[in-house]
Amino acid sequence: MQQLDVVIIGAGPAGLAAAIQCRENDLDVVVLDEFPKVGGRLLGQLHQEPSGEWWNGIEESKALQTKAESLNTDIRLGYSVYHIEKLEKQFVVHTKQQKFVTNNVLIATGAAESPAPIPGWTLPGVMSIGAAQVMTNVHRVKVGEKGIVVGVNVLSAAIARELQLAGVDLHSMALPTRNVVSEDQANPRLVMERLSRIAHLAPSKFIQFGSRFAKWKWVQDLVVQYYPKNGIKMWGMPIYLNKAIKQINGTDKVESVTMVDVTMHGDIIGNSEEEIPVDFVCIAGGLYPLAELAGVVGCPFIYSEELGGHVPVHNEKMETPVAGIYVAGNITGIESSKVAREQGKVAGLAIVIKEKNTSEITGKLQTAISEVKATRDAASIQFHPHIPEGRAKVSAAYDDLVKAQEVEKELEYV
Amino acid sequence: MNNRIVDHPVLGQIDQKRKVTFQFDGKTYEGFENDTIASALLAHGVRTLRKHEESGNPRGIYCNIGHCFECRVTVDGEDNVRACLTPIQENMVVESGQVQPHPLDPSKEGVKPRTYAEYKEQEGQK
Amino acid sequence: MKDTIVCRCEEVTLQELEETARKYNSSARELKLLTRAGMGFCGGRTCRQAVDKVLTDITGEDPTNELPLKVAPPVRPLSLTDLGGLAKDE
Ligand SMILES: Cc1cc2nc3c(=O)[nH]c(=O)nc-3n(C[C@H](O)[C@H](O)[C@H](O)COP(=O)(O)OP(=O)(O)OC[C@H]3O[C@@H](n4cnc5c(N)ncnc54)[C@H](O)[C@@H]3O)c2cc1C
Ligand code: FES
Ligand code: FES
Repeated sequence: MQQLDVVIIGAGPAGLAAAIQCRENDLDVVVLDEFPKVGGRLLGQLHQEPSGEWWNGIEESKALQTKAESLNTDIRLGYSVYHIEKLEKQFVVHTKQQKFVTNNVLIATGAAESPAPIPGWTLPGVMSIGAAQVMTNVHRVKVGEKGIVVGVNVLSAAIARELQLAGVDLHSMALPTRNVVSEDQANPRLVMERLSRIAHLAPSKFIQFGSRFAKWKWVQDLVVQYYPKNGIKMWGMPIYLNKAIKQINGTDKVESVTMVDVTMHGDIIGNSEEEIPVDFVCIAGGLYPLAELAGVVGCPFIYSEELGGHVPVHNEKMETPVAGIYVAGNITGIESSKVAREQGKVAGLAIVIKEKNTSEITGKLQTAISEVKATRDAASIQFHPHIPEGRAKVSAAYDDLVKAQEVEKELEYV
Repeated sequence: MNNRIVDHPVLGQIDQKRKVTFQFDGKTYEGFENDTIASALLAHGVRTLRKHEESGNPRGIYCNIGHCFECRVTVDGEDNVRACLTPIQENMVVESGQVQPHPLDPSKEGVKPRTYAEYKEQEGQK
Repeated sequence: MKDTIVCRCEEVTLQELEETARKYNSSARELKLLTRAGMGFCGGRTCRQAVDKVLTDITGEDPTNELPLKVAPPVRPLSLTDLGGLAKDE
């Protein structure tokens, strides 16, 4: 069995950045990823920065991969981790192919998509918005002839644009009809507020207008109330906050959707049903941290709406209270890949300091920690406005836990 | 191959890599090296990858990144392989998932309940 | 109108969850065991958020800091032969 300094789970921006730091300091590293290509969700990303420059995920991934490979990093693709077992001082990382014994594990498994269940969403041809992104930009296959996006948010707006760029025809973007699950995504008022935050990415006068008054709730109400009947157009495609998809129709695959008009509160307006022929549907319910492996190895969690859901408790150095288990990237909260990359760097350096028992690079670590914050502040894509508050909550939880552990230890000696 | 995005205004031309042939439910398909089973099939317009084990409802890819397991197929005899994560290989034999004869089928009389709710229901009837 | 499936793996509908909850006056945990929502092949990765919201709505239990549906290994399904193979090189 292979004995390692660190196993990194996930070859996305966080995992790769960490691997580079570890390899530069000569640690024995294995990076595991179940996806057949290196880069994680960064691979599919393609958007224009406010500067006009393109953020090309394939290029960015390649840069990280080349750097990691130049340091002889052992990256294994097609390896699914299904369990992390805790021994006295070490861990066993289980995959189908092999088990790895290691002093440290960095869990950098990224995010997963939240569902927005609507009737008919199990039909072939219905997929998550992220699935369409990967099919289009990574595999270069069209997901269909004509489709519709259900769910209007930062991610779906960015990906709708990507589909258009690739020549995939979209009828429009609309909301899901309201049920217990989709409440958040089905409320035009909340959606408008969130859209206002990506106004710089949205070449729409209407949204930019809304965003100028983002702080004033009553203006937002008015904006939603006066929402143009025919939707507003972004890149020529209508975005409806006043229409919702009630149902997806078809026998063996998607044939059409049923669209209805909704009020500014998301209530269905009677007699407004319209059937729209499409052969694919993209569901956009948002992202949440994919943290199951941290759960399995016993990391404590904290729920933070700001960060997208349950995140493993950790400190600024990306250490969890389980000594030897580190986390970085979207598993710690939904943010852009640039932030994930900086977090990976921090985790990598923290692991080096622990393994080499050295303080030589603590300065470097401190710089990396401030770099995370600077990157966060400068991010052009923000999934949630209150990320710093969410982060503070997590840090406080970590301090509390560590204090509790210390008290417990002292009590043992009494 | 029809559903390919050959030219892209930012990403450029598609990498025309080596061609790979494989089988899906007895039919032969061609894809590119580095295609996944799911992407190679979708390029040919094939969306349905399996039937739900119990209801028989058709299913295709949902997440395309290995999370949802909706795309599971049998590859060279191995069950429950995710089509969205598995690169195609020359002469690979892929079969779609079918309805399983279910010993616990609740529609049949005297069979075991599928869920705890059904169990309670049956208990109640006794 | 068609039913709204919440858990895709086990084809559990919103209606089924609500009815079961009413009938057995169950907690979130019980409801999961009763319907198998979230206990399918994907291990709840697809539906966990949705099932959790439905359960919160029905039972009035607020989301806690605990993971809503406890995750247990394996987080990726394994065939019995794979498990056997692993046992061998132990
Ligand atoms: C579908 C999707 C689309 C996104 N699109 C955008 C976008 O357009 N713009 C944007 O700014 N952000 C986007 N994001 C957010 C994205 O998560 C971050 O931008 C960034 O990629 C996070 O980096 P990471 O390293 O934390 O995780 P990721 O880049 O997600 O990498 C995690 C890696 O871990 C692997 N993995 C997970 N679990 C296991 C396991 N058990 N065993 C083995 N490997 C495993 C995955 O295969 C993956 O490659 C998207 C997220 C998702 C889920
Ligand atoms: S499509 Fe979700 S696992 Fe393959
Ligand atoms: S969708 Fe519910 S367990 Fe998979």
